[in-house]
Amino acid sequence: MMPRDQPNGAAPKPTPGYFSYPVFSLSLIAGIALGLVLTRIHGPVQHGKTEPWQLRVDDRYHYQIAIALEYAHSGDLPRAMKKLIAMRPAQDPLGELAEAACALGSSGYLRSDSGINALSKAVALYSSQGRAGCAEELLPLQATDSAPDPPAENAREAGFATPLPTKPPLPDANASAPSSRLAPTAVPRPSFEARSARSFCDAANPALIEARVVDYLGRGIPGQRIRVRWGDQADIFVSGLKGDRGDAYADFQMEEGVEYAIDMPGAAEPLGANLSTGACYSGNRRSLKSWRVTFVET
Amino acid sequence: MPRVARSLILGLLLGSLAGLYFGWFPFPSHSRSGALPNLTQRYRDEYTVMIAAGYAVDRDLPGALERLSLLQTDDIADYLRDSTERIIGTSAHDLGDIRRLVRLAHDLGRLTPAMAPFLVLDGGEP
Repeated sequence: MMPRDQPNGAAPKPTPGYFSYPVFSLSLIAGIALGLVLTRIHGPVQHGKTEPWQLRVDDRYHYQIAIALEYAHSGDLPRAMKKLIAMRPAQDPLGELAEAACALGSSGYLRSDSGINALSKAVALYSSQGRAGCAEELLPLQATDSAPDPPAENAREAGFATPLPTKPPLPDANASAPSSRLAPTAVPRPSFEARSARSFCDAANPALIEARVVDYLGRGIPGQRIRVRWGDQADIFVSGLKGDRGDAYADFQMEEGVEYAIDMPGAAEPLGANLSTGACYSGNRRSLKSWRVTFVET
Repeated sequence: MPRVARSLILGLLLGSLAGLYFGWFPFPSHSRSGALPNLTQRYRDEYTVMIAAGYAVDRDLPGALERLSLLQTDDIADYLRDSTERIIGTSAHDLGDIRRLVRLAHDLGRLTPAMAPFLVLDGGEP
């Protein structure tokens, strides 16, 4: 029996649906691929899950410099090489260290003594293994002078196999460390003078010694040790530890009824007068007196 | 024709969302765009130990601080104190590493009773 509306026997023509499922499937696959590619390019590296090899370029440089700093202490070449290789360099790990030193040296890293010091350690590491870069030329002369080797705490250099055929042979355990290694430069210690000590009253910050350590242009200098002594006790606090207060800032909490002498050990004479706290009023609020002391580089 | 366009656009849209989701959450990128503060705890500790070793050579406190500041902690000295105490507690590093960390913590004014047994001073310096 043929249906009445199909008199000539042709199959019923399906009506086109809302979707073309083949096109939808193909575009879905293309979309997934596109989304994945986008996350590969701009995707997240999750907080607390990054490994050194995943570091972005500038942070990678700093990590490599840290490896060189550790090597300057330990003299442990296999350990340093292991860490450099773990960073999955695209080329020779020491060559990449030379590139890192070169890039940092060209980007203002050498403006400070600390930068010069750190970069000289990197140069010492890669040049001791026959590599060269541009950092040697960027370093000031005194940083590249020949000098005694840095203390090697753990020289386990025997039998270390390098992955690179071009690498010169490493010294054996009985051999002395390469004489061409560069010296760790001693960082000159600046001297300071306590220029001002003023009391203030702040109910939010009672009984505080707020010290500032600045250079002759008034720029904050981090990492400077300030000593406070009272009775037979002493404490050290350091500038620049509270990033939100600037490089110059350091503070110390006083106690009522105690007199404090403040100086910078080996860098500044004690302040002429001792500091102590006592009652003061900020508006109508009773508080305890605080002090601001400024050490200026001389 | 609108049927094809409709299918294409909807497919691409849903596909892209799915791709972004999978690339963002279950299978995050392993690209080289991480920052030092995002290092795993193990490598943050390793970085800190390396900085302390560098400090043991040059006693360059500003330099050590500058390098530790790249970890972007609220208070560098507190970070060092906490890390050192944790490393001591877990014996995650060898004695030499701990001593160098303790020395740096001491010089930053953050020596604690837990660290005191590991403190080695040179030349009678406080």
